[in-house]
Amino acid sequence: MKQLDASLKPKSNRTWKIFKSQLTLQMMILPCMLFLLIFAYIPLAGNIIAFQDFKIISGFTGSEFVGLSNFQEMFSDPTFYMAMKNTVILSLFYLLVVFPAPLLFALLINEIPFVRFRKILQTTSYLPHFISFAMVASMWIILLDSQGVVNQSLLTLQLIQHPIEFWTDPDLFRPLSLLVSIWKETGWGAIIFLAAVAGINPDLYEAAMMDGAGRIKRIIHITLPNLIPLFAILFILKIGTLFTGNLDHSILLGNSFNKESSYVIEYYSLQMGLELTRYSYATAVSLFQAVMSLLLVLFANWFSGKVSGNRLF
Amino acid sequence: MRSPIKLTREDKIVNVTVIIVGFIAFVATFYPLYYLLIYSLNDPVDAASGQLYLFPRQFTLSNYSVIFLDDQLLNSFLVTVARTFLGTVTGVLFTAIGAYALSKERLLFRKVYSLVGLVTMYVSGGLIPTYLLLQKVHLLNSFWVYIIPSLFNIFNALLFMAFFRQMPKELEESAKVDGAGDFYTFMRIILPLSKPVLATVALFVAVNHWNDWFSSAYFVSNQQLWTLPTIIVRMLSDTAIIENMQNLPPNMRTDPLSTLLAIKYATLIVTVLPITIVYPFIQKYFVQGMMVGAIKA
Repeated sequence: MKQLDASLKPKSNRTWKIFKSQLTLQMMILPCMLFLLIFAYIPLAGNIIAFQDFKIISGFTGSEFVGLSNFQEMFSDPTFYMAMKNTVILSLFYLLVVFPAPLLFALLINEIPFVRFRKILQTTSYLPHFISFAMVASMWIILLDSQGVVNQSLLTLQLIQHPIEFWTDPDLFRPLSLLVSIWKETGWGAIIFLAAVAGINPDLYEAAMMDGAGRIKRIIHITLPNLIPLFAILFILKIGTLFTGNLDHSILLGNSFNKESSYVIEYYSLQMGLELTRYSYATAVSLFQAVMSLLLVLFANWFSGKVSGNRLF
Repeated sequence: MRSPIKLTREDKIVNVTVIIVGFIAFVATFYPLYYLLIYSLNDPVDAASGQLYLFPRQFTLSNYSVIFLDDQLLNSFLVTVARTFLGTVTGVLFTAIGAYALSKERLLFRKVYSLVGLVTMYVSGGLIPTYLLLQKVHLLNSFWVYIIPSLFNIFNALLFMAFFRQMPKELEESAKVDGAGDFYTFMRIILPLSKPVLATVALFVAVNHWNDWFSSAYFVSNQQLWTLPTIIVRMLSDTAIIENMQNLPPNMRTDPLSTLLAIKYATLIVTVLPITIVYPFIQKYFVQGMMVGAIKA
């Protein structure tokens, strides 16, 4: 015991000395740690109210514990299932339609023969990424309004007899949501693929040309295979977001008419919590979703490690 | 890519196809924004009659003057500017200072600090507990709810750390020989040499502040503190806004619905324009930054 003490003491003493010598450095990191403690870890611990009947007056510590009853209620609410279904379906569509778009766009940009035009197209395509989704949503709602420019043009060209009710038809919500996402994020997402294209060894193309491979053959047999590993990793990791809905889309593009396909789980939780002030119930819903997502992320990470040897963490 | 070899038939077909598809992509990206612009520059009543495609027919700036004459819109514009400026300066500095300390190998408990940060990348508190916390610390319904909760960002901290780590160690050592402390070294030597990463992070932070509509919609009920994106969202569902507008020219009062639409377009342009103007200049920085981020992740 004494020996242990003796060996510990100088060490902790030395630690303290080093600590004091780098006090400024430690003071520089301290605010960040305090920040994370308050704004990240306290809310994390606050998830405890999912198991309580939380009352503002009683606070975290004074509220009564009710076990899993919030979760029981959640599983017996048809609206929860509707929101869950919408969340997963929308995410699946994203994965299949929106996600590959940047790869295809990068291939397109890469094949454009005029440098000038390539630069202009690339620069323009980033722009929507920097516009608030509130603006993007408003813009598309106005443009696709029953009296908006799209309907007007279609009517003038006599392609349709009556205006299309883009935003009130539940069947149209998903395709429109996907289109808006493609418009907003494709160019930005293509950056990483364009960088990967730039990293391909030019000798490969020359060798292929010697062997008589044409443009299309070179795209299919050199460019694409070189991008597939990157694409696969991003795709697998994206699987982790399957239970994460798109709150922006749900709130801003959704309305009471297309609710049956636009209402996602985050919006459900938000309305339960902030509009009906059912804090415990809302937290239970979002906690359930967060746990499912985390499990999926861990699974995707493990799967990615298995398949490609690349893991995120 | 100009190849010295003569173009084959296949080359020509591919070229023509990609140029056509590329042109369509360009129009699809650009035209909606351009349409907003011409609509907002046109007389609202005239614009409502349709057939406006390429140029404004009855040019006017009245839609824009409404924005800057209306108290609420002007106010929210100023709130958004103030928030973006203050939020960017504080957010970038706060994160950079922490990231600098964390990038030093000799920092004691560095592993613990990193872990504390990394965990927050994968799990977060969720909306309701965050809301209750903001309520508890009296940030709800306050201007500071825009600034304080976004002081630190772990992803930006990673960008900073990647940059600081690849700076030559001699810089710091020579400063030390001259008797400079860590904080002095950081402010006077490291920061001035970190312009590329500062620009990248500042751009990301500024864009987030400028674009955020969620915090004012859900954390702030005082309309005097609402930001532009939130007002836009409200304008879409709430025609009452136009009734509250003073200083509306009389000819615009005759057809409030068309007027509202044109003002919405103008507000959209006012919000989108600053980003459109600034971003070509800092483009090269954010592409670099994005790549660092991607490689890190």
